[in-house]
Amino acid sequence: MNITEKDIDHLAELSNFSLSEAEKTSLRQDLQNIIGYISQLDELDVSGVEPTYQVFEMENIWREDKILPQEADREALLNLAPAMTDNQIKVPKVL
Amino acid sequence: MSEKTDYEITIGIECHVQLATKTKLFSEVDNDARGKEPNSCVSPVDYALPGMLPRLNKEAVRMAVLAGHALNSEINLISRFDRKHYYYPDLPKGYQISQLYHPIIGSGYVQLPDGTKVRIEHAHMEEDAGKLTHFGTYSLVDLNRAGTPLIEIVSMPDIHSAAHARDYCKELWRLMTYAGVCFGDLYNGNMRFDVNISLAKPGAKELGTRAEIKNLNSFRSVERAVEYEYERQSKLLDSGEKVKQETRGWSDATGKTTSQRSKEEAQDYRYMPEPDIPPIHLEQSFVDEMKAKLPRMPEDYREMFKGILPDDTIEILLDYQPLIAKLAELYADNDDKTASKENISTSGVKKVANLFTSVLLAEENTSLLNDELPTKRQLIDLVTMLEKSELSSTGGKEVFLKFFDPEMHTKDTRTIAKELNVLQENDTGALEAIVDQVLADPACAQAVADFKAGSEKVLGFLVGQVMKASKGKANPAAVQPILRKKLK
Repeated sequence: MNITEKDIDHLAELSNFSLSEAEKTSLRQDLQNIIGYISQLDELDVSGVEPTYQVFEMENIWREDKILPQEADREALLNLAPAMTDNQIKVPKVL
Repeated sequence: MSEKTDYEITIGIECHVQLATKTKLFSEVDNDARGKEPNSCVSPVDYALPGMLPRLNKEAVRMAVLAGHALNSEINLISRFDRKHYYYPDLPKGYQISQLYHPIIGSGYVQLPDGTKVRIEHAHMEEDAGKLTHFGTYSLVDLNRAGTPLIEIVSMPDIHSAAHARDYCKELWRLMTYAGVCFGDLYNGNMRFDVNISLAKPGAKELGTRAEIKNLNSFRSVERAVEYEYERQSKLLDSGEKVKQETRGWSDATGKTTSQRSKEEAQDYRYMPEPDIPPIHLEQSFVDEMKAKLPRMPEDYREMFKGILPDDTIEILLDYQPLIAKLAELYADNDDKTASKENISTSGVKKVANLFTSVLLAEENTSLLNDELPTKRQLIDLVTMLEKSELSSTGGKEVFLKFFDPEMHTKDTRTIAKELNVLQENDTGALEAIVDQVLADPACAQAVADFKAGSEKVLGFLVGQVMKASKGKANPAAVQPILRKKLK
């Protein structure tokens, strides 16, 4: 599979990244290498093999429906945001 | 020239249901943010701080299974979560945890009041996103709702009219609230509907291109949006244009849908298995146990009261689950330890249903719906007294209203009737004395003479006089034969 510049633009757009030309070039190369490496798996015949969803043999990891106090309160969390107004996180206009 | 064609409309509906758990789907914070300050019900998990691990709420799983039973659906014993990636400030993680490939609820159906079946494709669990408020140059984010457990119910395209689209949404609302998995507060977005609508020429083998109307939050707006889309799409098709596959928004104020974004710019959610949440593996015994816990559903009540109450009365009462449940308790339940093993007859059902619809659902009394309903004992006694004419229908209504009076609601029916002084006099001896007194009154002499001369209609006047003399307590039906006997 060949990663094109268009693929990089598409992925950047989906993640809302703005990338410099230099970054695009190096990311394209990195991604190309990763995909190439993984593609080796294509040589295997996996028909009839159940896909691996989890690497741990765990299931039903759940908790009771009980409100617990949080270590970080509203103010501490809001202060992590680049901007806030009226106890809300302020972001550039989206629609 | 364009010609007007009668197109066949096909509708599929996706419904988001907020589950009424105490905490969110993956974090241990308050899930009920109604009336609370923005960003006051949040945790580091909701903020997607690095290293935070979501922990699945077992109660949400339980409610999803219950919801699945309400939808007559198969429950998948193994279900898994996936990440649905999209970049939007309403979810700080950059993805929503959902179930794409292995949803917890499999295929089922919803039966509409007229018997039409709408098949359910599947329903899956996922987390809700935060709330955005848009201003001139910026948007504000409130994450109180981010992480609220949802189930998204996906119907098959089995709906073919605006009225059925509305009926389906309303029936879903009933099913989810009856099952006790959702508060059902549409105004606060507890249930939201996305409606897919396409038109095709009658007999066409393929469905037309669909438009999706997102985020409708009332039954009425679902109906209106479908009606509007039918007009819009049929005009386009009549004039030879194409319907664009797109997402549209609905405005209650303008009564129109408008284009929001075109699906042509392919959405690419890059789904992947959610590595942080191991799969859910349910025991069949747990699934069966949940099925046994499902309370009576609308369809059970329809079956119970069919032929006893008019269909439209049943549908009105079905909008108020406590009322129809009370009626069923009176009529069908006889294992009630607290009240009585007695049941009321079908005519008693009609009387109580009539009190519910004419008194309780009258506009001036709707606030009473928040109060505790009368007990089975009180209502059975009320019906008995009405049937024995110890109470007139007016007196019955007065007594019924007092069941909601904080000063009187614990008293038994007869005591309330006595205190209101509305018990009717049926005792023949007592009534005869009053009748004698009235007939002896010179003011009535003319009427008596008229009756004897053959005028039937003065009988009403005489009954009225007896009622007056008894201070309204005589049972008019009992007075008439006595009058006739005495006037012979």
